[in-house]
Amino acid sequence: MIELVYDVHHQVTFRWLIALYFYFTGMSAGSFVISTLAYGFGLEKFKPAGKVGVVMATLLLFIAPIMLLLQVGWPIRSVWNHFTYLNFSSPMTYGAFLLMMYPINCLIYGYFMFKGDMKRTKIFGMIGIPLAITVHGYTGFILAFGKARAFWNTALMPFLFLVSAIVSGLGMMIIILLIRDRFFTREKKINTELIYTLATMLGWMIVFDLALVFCDISVLSIAHAEAKEMTHLLLHGELSPLFLGIENLLGKVVPMVLVLTPKFRSITTITIASVLVVIGILFMRFVVVYGGQVLPIV
Amino acid sequence: MAKTRYAFVIDLRRCIGCNSCSVACKSENSVHLGVWMSWVKVIQKGEFPNVSRSFLPLLCNNCEDPICVTVCPVNANRIEENGIISTDPHRCVACRYCMAACPYEVRYVHPIKKFVEKCNWCLHRVKVGLLPACVEACPAEARIFGDMNDPKSDVSKLLAKHPVQVIKPEIGTEPHVFYINLDNDAIEKKRKVDVL
Repeated sequence: MIELVYDVHHQVTFRWLIALYFYFTGMSAGSFVISTLAYGFGLEKFKPAGKVGVVMATLLLFIAPIMLLLQVGWPIRSVWNHFTYLNFSSPMTYGAFLLMMYPINCLIYGYFMFKGDMKRTKIFGMIGIPLAITVHGYTGFILAFGKARAFWNTALMPFLFLVSAIVSGLGMMIIILLIRDRFFTREKKINTELIYTLATMLGWMIVFDLALVFCDISVLSIAHAEAKEMTHLLLHGELSPLFLGIENLLGKVVPMVLVLTPKFRSITTITIASVLVVIGILFMRFVVVYGGQVLPIV
Repeated sequence: MAKTRYAFVIDLRRCIGCNSCSVACKSENSVHLGVWMSWVKVIQKGEFPNVSRSFLPLLCNNCEDPICVTVCPVNANRIEENGIISTDPHRCVACRYCMAACPYEVRYVHPIKKFVEKCNWCLHRVKVGLLPACVEACPAEARIFGDMNDPKSDVSKLLAKHPVQVIKPEIGTEPHVFYINLDNDAIEKKRKVDVL
């Protein structure tokens, strides 16, 4: 029996602000990608989602960096120092540039979209796609470079983040489109065809997300000692209600069944599924950020 | 002569867990309340009469391939010529990325000044030829500091004569605090931290 007699208290590194930052950039990147389906790739079916998508993408990406500025010790100095003292081995350096360029691109893209200049909208939509993907992919890199934490230090982290970003983006878009169609249009009629297409996309992205989570956890469960301990915490320990119950069962499996089973499919179930997904991904961000720090290092 | 590369040897056969090193460090570096640059972790194991108590003095390892320097977005961490990693309070913005990446959890945000600090083996003393404060204070002479590239230094002699261990060699940062008689049970992994 080993008993701890004395150890000092360590500060928790990343807190809820960082989890929320990941959540907001994720939804922003997801809704941007959906908005480019119509205005970048010319899929006419998604046209009603285009303007909502770009407004949400821009808004969320103005809120998200505020979370970062509240988290760092020196908010104003951090803006200056990130661009003057560059360290090209740090994902955060790239992040500073991406967080500058992506909202500006969103603004330009949205401006041309609302003006009706389709040629320029398409150009900036195409520039925006790699930006949207990297602006969220880099947040996964940030955690993956957190070498000390077994839960974070995996090459899958950027991809897990990207797929969950698109899942939460789709969920949020469906909710907002439903609210807009129901209450803020003249006809008060829901665009059922668009919602059903988005719901199918949502279902298959959740399948992909679950597959990635399975890959991540199964490799974690046979890796080194800390990784095994982390898996135990996630599957049987204190984090399992959050990780298995809310994040994966309520936030992924239930919505997946609701939107992919033809028998259940209706506007009501799609609404429920979208709300569950948006809440589930919020929990996913918290489980990743806090869960990674639950195990002590020394 | 080879370049100076400072290293620490902590002889746990001599450590009595008196915490003089922690106190000396607090005093020398004005370490704020609630945070530590250097501390002693204590564990006990077994049941009477088969019992033992182990001390594990912890401090920055000043690694050869430090992850904190890799991830710092503003280049606030610098590898000095003697191998010690110094932090620049004028550049640090307290983004805490180095704290998240450090495998030894030696970094903290100063509660008032809001920048990240860590043990730098008393760089200001070492530069003028003095020993780090914790080494001076240790009554049992369990902490030995010196240039590991100089074969005549105490550190080199101890490293040559004894089996030594480092904490978490598998992490690959090449830590430079070497322990003699390190108890693996003291590097505990199964405890939970209350993060919320």
